Amino acid sequence: MTMTSKMIYVHIPFCDSKCYYCNFCSSIYSEKIKKNYFLKLTEEIKLNKNKNINISSIYIGGGTPSSVDEKYIKTIIEELYKNFNILKNAEITIEANPCSINKNKLLCYKNCGINRISFGVQSLNNKCLKIIGRKNTKKQAINAIKLARKCEFNNINADVLIGIPNQNYLILKNTIKNLIKLKIPHISCYMLINEKGTKLTDLIENKKIKVVNEDKSVEYYNKIFKYLKMHTYCRYEISNFAKDNFECKHNIGYWQLKEYYGFGLSAHSFIDGSRYSNTSIMQEYLNNKLEYKKEKPSKTQQIEEMIMLELRTVYGVDVKQLKNLGYDIVKEKKEEIDFLVKNKFIFLKDNHIKICEDKFGVTNQIILKLLP
Amino acid sequence: MNDRQKKIRNFCIIAHIDHGKSTLADRLIEKTGTVSKREMSEQLLDSMDIERERGITIKLTPTRMFYNYKGEEYTLNLIDTPGHVDFTYEVSRSLAACEGAILIVDASQGVEAQTIANTYLALDNNLEILPVLNKIDLPSANIEKCKKEIEDIIGLPADDIPCISAKDGINIDDVLNQIVEKIPCPKGDINSSLKALIFDSFYDNFKGAICFVRIFDGTVKVGSQIMMMKTGKTYEVTEVGVFCPAMKQTDILSSGDVGYICASIKNLSDTKVGDTITDALNPTKEALAGYKEVQSVVFSGIFPVDGAKYGELKDALEKLKLNDASLVFMPETSIALGFGFRCGFLGLLHMEIITERLEREFNLDIITTAPSVSYHVYKTNGEMLEVSNPSMLPPISEIDRIEEPMIKLNVYTPPEYVGAIMDLCQDKRGVFIDMQYIEKTRVVMKYHMPLAEMIYDFFDNLKSRTRGYASLDYEIYGFMPSDLVKLDIMLNGEICDALSLITHKDKAYARGRQIAEKLKKVIPRQLFEVPIQACVGGKIIARETVSAMRKDVLAKCYGGDISRKRKLLEKQKAGKKRMRQFGSVELPSEAFISILKTDDND
Repeated sequence: MTMTSKMIYVHIPFCDSKCYYCNFCSSIYSEKIKKNYFLKLTEEIKLNKNKNINISSIYIGGGTPSSVDEKYIKTIIEELYKNFNILKNAEITIEANPCSINKNKLLCYKNCGINRISFGVQSLNNKCLKIIGRKNTKKQAINAIKLARKCEFNNINADVLIGIPNQNYLILKNTIKNLIKLKIPHISCYMLINEKGTKLTDLIENKKIKVVNEDKSVEYYNKIFKYLKMHTYCRYEISNFAKDNFECKHNIGYWQLKEYYGFGLSAHSFIDGSRYSNTSIMQEYLNNKLEYKKEKPSKTQQIEEMIMLELRTVYGVDVKQLKNLGYDIVKEKKEEIDFLVKNKFIFLKDNHIKICEDKFGVTNQIILKLLP
Repeated sequence: MNDRQKKIRNFCIIAHIDHGKSTLADRLIEKTGTVSKREMSEQLLDSMDIERERGITIKLTPTRMFYNYKGEEYTLNLIDTPGHVDFTYEVSRSLAACEGAILIVDASQGVEAQTIANTYLALDNNLEILPVLNKIDLPSANIEKCKKEIEDIIGLPADDIPCISAKDGINIDDVLNQIVEKIPCPKGDINSSLKALIFDSFYDNFKGAICFVRIFDGTVKVGSQIMMMKTGKTYEVTEVGVFCPAMKQTDILSSGDVGYICASIKNLSDTKVGDTITDALNPTKEALAGYKEVQSVVFSGIFPVDGAKYGELKDALEKLKLNDASLVFMPETSIALGFGFRCGFLGLLHMEIITERLEREFNLDIITTAPSVSYHVYKTNGEMLEVSNPSMLPPISEIDRIEEPMIKLNVYTPPEYVGAIMDLCQDKRGVFIDMQYIEKTRVVMKYHMPLAEMIYDFFDNLKSRTRGYASLDYEIYGFMPSDLVKLDIMLNGEICDALSLITHKDKAYARGRQIAEKLKKVIPRQLFEVPIQACVGGKIIARETVSAMRKDVLAKCYGGDISRKRKLLEKQKAGKKRMRQFGSVELPSEAFISILKTDDND
């Protein structure tokens, strides 16, 4: 029996410093904890061993995976190969920070099979970098990318933030322009979100820095979309732009409800229709027996997730699949769909509902109208 | 008359709001040992949460006390009454069940609007009035001045008035003694057939509708066959009792008594307040006078936020109606709000209280439309329509004239605010009639004014312009033709019926602009631009635009954790549930409320 392939996510919760906007699961830890963490991570991978499962992509994210000794990364990748059937053409990505990358690390990654690097560039403007607490400079970022190229990494992504305080369109466009010049085939554009409890939010609340107005962020986003399109980057998902054949398989997998294992602190899995999550407390992860919090989405939740996730991509949501789940969207939401089609928010093509190119900014509002 | 009856005193307490009515009631209860100190909770008779919080009495709450006067035990039945102008009707109900009334005057404030209005009501009911000066403990109390006011303004002798502090329990015995000495005992014949006045009623889930009664003639006990004189329906009594102040079962109620009757009455409308209960087998010939049918003066649409809760709203209104005869309602349909009810209220406070009770006691989310008065619309074909819902106004071409209800308004104020009040009244289309100095520090200003102006932020304005010193009372005296227009609000080009108003032509422009601005603030941005237009007779007089929403959060999906996305979606879904779909526009319920009141900062 052929099984559809799955994906693997590995979480590396270590950073050399915490960025002001970050509220994800990452921190600065001692070398001893790092060592124990990777031991536990190995144990977790072994626990889930299943050589019958084909893996089409691996994503090592964080945190800052590039901040730890490369030997740890090597062990983990090797462990994955031992316990799963990693497909030959699997996409294997690692996230890297321009500050912590060097030639040795890159060569090590290359040797153990990593074939894609995602750089947290965020901006190529020194002022902007400083405001959000990034430790690198523009020059360091450019050098890191060049170095990766030298080490024969062709599949490179750069994360870029829109809406950094003080950022104007010109600054943003310059960042993108530089990335294009560097021939980066994949760019992710996210909007800076002021999450509760982050230093950035503190700074904003204390009026130390000014937040960029929402309309401005969207305006920038739409302009960047056009700019990238002009340079033959295709937006295959709200935040992701890629040259032909450089779309991130792992990323698309998330939006298309592909199943995945998540290993490590606070990692999430989606296996056999259920969602699992690991603890996000380091002590618990290291000292306790591995226990996953399990949640099986109800039929309605499955439908909601399918609409919510798939509509974010250019491929849209499959009307037939929804029908298989018992939701005849075309019939039940006829009025809403007619309205949205008439006003050019969505269109129907090949049995898929897709969002019009210039309306990706209001995806959530469109989703809300289409939910059962 | 028998000895038992000679030792009963039925009385109520009347006062201007805040003059300490409920506090005195509590002291009387405490002093007579009806309720032990331990059981006393602050303001015992105000049992509703809203009453305690706002410090007002809405419902009538009777209680029976025993007082030893010169070695003999007397039964004192107190019926607490509301003080606000909106509830004059309820006051008149309790007055009809009593022989006397204690009139409280705040020794620091003096005679106020409602003091006078309630005194007149008591006099109309031939009650013996006992004036009492309260709050003598306050440094600002001026006993001599207040006594003079009572003599001059009200016309009651003031030489032996009890001077008390209900709060500190000073001279409460004086009040109790005067109740026994001055208030006449109830007349009535214990041997003639039953004649009992329903002065209030209450719905109990187990016992059915419970009638609060004053027995005028005869007796009633368990097993008695009774008849409601208005409906002719008969019941067998299952329980009778008195209030102490909790309901306590007794064997019998006889002439002069105040108590309650249960008779498995299932239908709320069968216990009409003001009706007479009599013996079914030997009915009395003549019913008691009952009450004047109450007139609603303020009308508003009430709709459930969740359209599916229409049935629950209906049940809730019916239950409230049982305890509050002055509430009237009938089904109404709105394009914007769906199915709901047009409700009539005694005034704005009454409306606020009803809506608050619907939300609190019945846990309903409701939308209230702007309050309106009832207009007399004369059509060109001679027909007259009563219109209390602006969207029911016929087309202009069919209207000959519109008449609006007018009030006689009395404002009582210290003289320094006369100018401010004149400005306000003028602004509210008031016509000055007269002004009199009651005394050096107190003026009464008399105006004729459209009721519609009165219900729209007049009271708040008066209070803020006079720092709360002015008080008012009013009565409706008739209808007058006026230059009125219908102000419509269009959203995305469609008239939203629930937002329409009838207003004076000269004010339409300002109000239209104000509402449009307000709506712009409360309507969230949508997928497309939403024009908000205010128009009169098809002519647009104000316009605002809610620009299209463009932003959604574009966040990274870290490590396959979609729970964040889910949470956001759930949040947005919940927000959407509270929205009303009007055409293609989504309206939050705040949109309907926001036009009710003016902001001072606007």
